[in-house]
Amino acid sequence: MDVPARKVHIPMTEAVFYILLCLREESHGYNIIRKVEELTDHEIRISPGTMYGNLSKLEKDGLIQFVREEKKRRIYCITDLGKDVLALEMKRVERLYRNMMEAR
Amino acid sequence: MKGMKTELHIFTIADWEKEEQYLRKRHREGWKFVKVNLPGFYHFERCKPEDVVYQLDYNQEGLEHKEEYVQMFKDCGWEYVQDLGGYCYFRKPVSEMQGEEEIFCDDESRLDMMRRVFAGRYWPFFILLMLLILPNLSAQFQNSDADAPVLLVLSLILLAIYVWVAASFGYRYWKIIKRLRK
Repeated sequence: MDVPARKVHIPMTEAVFYILLCLREESHGYNIIRKVEELTDHEIRISPGTMYGNLSKLEKDGLIQFVREEKKRRIYCITDLGKDVLALEMKRVERLYRNMMEAR
Repeated sequence: MKGMKTELHIFTIADWEKEEQYLRKRHREGWKFVKVNLPGFYHFERCKPEDVVYQLDYNQEGLEHKEEYVQMFKDCGWEYVQDLGGYCYFRKPVSEMQGEEEIFCDDESRLDMMRRVFAGRYWPFFILLMLLILPNLSAQFQNSDADAPVLLVLSLILLAIYVWVAASFGYRYWKIIKRLRK
């Protein structure tokens, strides 16, 4: 896998993690914001500046790709590279979780 | 015209937080921000005093896809007011917020914005300094004309302003980095 992409994106911010997670299905920024709210019991609300900046950065780095535009909203989808990076991050979080439970 | 006013206020390129607070304060006093022109003329109109949060984003790429960019903020309840010199002005009334809201929700993206300002505004500014002021300064030192001291002082004042702006930006950048490392 592309080493720079891994270096730059792992560990991920919560916002980037949820963006990649949601983009396993095609979606646009505001839809992701609402979905993340649902997933986290309204605890995490990604702000528009953060969302826009992250989407451009992820697209530039090839982790997501632009699919089409719908009513002035850009729809994206995760790429194979994005899936690989997300899988690696999930592994890291799993390890974190495992070790946390052992320490409890 | 009654119910309108214009104020001159100069903010340096790294002072967007002060500018946000300034606009919020005016709105609370009953002056709604209408527009700003260079070098810093802020136009206001009379309104009902209200607590409205103002936020600036610096995003060249967003401005290239302005419709989609503005739409995302609109979806989140942020009204787009205008853009100037790469900065976009957004506002949202506190009454429509759930708790404290900002256009950025983590330090990583705040830092990204600083990087964009740095790349877009700061480097050109710095290179200009190197090309204009420094050669000028050294020329003044060797100049023996009667008005040379005046020019020298002027160049030094300019240099001091540049250094001050550079230092304040560096300091803010360093503060965010420090917070991130905690």
